[in-house]
Amino acid sequence: MNVSIDDVVLPGDHCPEIVAAGEKGKVLLGPGLRKEINGVFITKPGVLRKRTPNTYWVDNYQKRYVPSRGENVIGTVVQKAGDIFRVDVGGSCAASLSYLSFEGATKKNRPAIKTGDVVYAKMLNASKDMEPELVCVDSHGKKGRLGVLEEGFVFKCSLNLIRKILNPHCPLLNSLKNEWPFELAAGMNGRIWIKANTMRETLALGNAILGSEYLSNDEIKSMCKNIAVLLAGHVS
Amino acid sequence: MAGVKKKPQLPKSVLDMKFMKKTKERLERELEDTQDHGSLYSNIITNAMRSASGNYVTEASFIFCENLMEGRLSFKGMNPEIERLMEQEKLKEIPSGEMQKDIPDDILAKKFQAFNKRKRASSTPSKYTMVKKKKSH
Repeated sequence: MNVSIDDVVLPGDHCPEIVAAGEKGKVLLGPGLRKEINGVFITKPGVLRKRTPNTYWVDNYQKRYVPSRGENVIGTVVQKAGDIFRVDVGGSCAASLSYLSFEGATKKNRPAIKTGDVVYAKMLNASKDMEPELVCVDSHGKKGRLGVLEEGFVFKCSLNLIRKILNPHCPLLNSLKNEWPFELAAGMNGRIWIKANTMRETLALGNAILGSEYLSNDEIKSMCKNIAVLLAGHVS
Repeated sequence: MAGVKKKPQLPKSVLDMKFMKKTKERLERELEDTQDHGSLYSNIITNAMRSASGNYVTEASFIFCENLMEGRLSFKGMNPEIERLMEQEKLKEIPSGEMQKDIPDDILAKKFQAFNKRKRASSTPSKYTMVKKKKSH
């Protein structure tokens, strides 16, 4: 079936609009779209989205993470195997993380990582047929925001929620950031790590994030206000 | 691919110079190599295959499609290291052309005019007057 932008689409549908754009200039096909010889086809059920000038993707509900290159994820170290750590990121198989891909790590100076540690790492390599590979440094060898996440609390959520809270237009983090000190790491694999000074604050943050999944922007703002008031009431 | 830029090449006159002998040989070798690759697979790779991807670029991640933020954040001094990085990133986002002004242009112009007038009325003693004063002591 022919579909256009902002329609609900199903796998197998095709979009002549994108083909027309592709004849004029460069087109970026995001997740859920596939170029075949005779057109552009949908491969995921969801809503077809466009960002001007030329980016198209399918916005779908998903809980299973499919590794893709360049994404930051939160993983748990499940095994130490010689030179590499096996890290569970929620994909079809565990990802590998070399002990040398940490800031300042050398063959003699190994990073102190145990099984069970939570790491925030970048997908270096993710192909269909191979084990994904993670790194905890950028191309300059600096750790930046990556590395082991100490203390804190990890929970899982849908991949949509991660995209929702990391969207620059989402009011959630903006309305929470002036309320109490907290730290947050959101992995594109549907895991969120949070850390705050007290248990009550951590719970409030976690509930605010999970509660915002099906709320509109205005509802999120009022929910954050409520949570902040409740929290302030308990402290005093 | 039409979008790929050609590598900058040295002019022939430069390559003919004596000290460029090795570079010239290397460039010739490279040219031969690439031509060989083309002929090696010419019976397998068709023109349709070359232009198959055309204008389409596939991207498997939502990050670039939806222009998502970095996922590691800290607020109100929980992790100063992360906050410093966030600050640096914010500074980069502000376009560098026009700087943010604390004082508008017209007020600054007025103030400076007044300042210049005052300055001319009682200008600071020059180097020579200072020397004269010292001598008189």
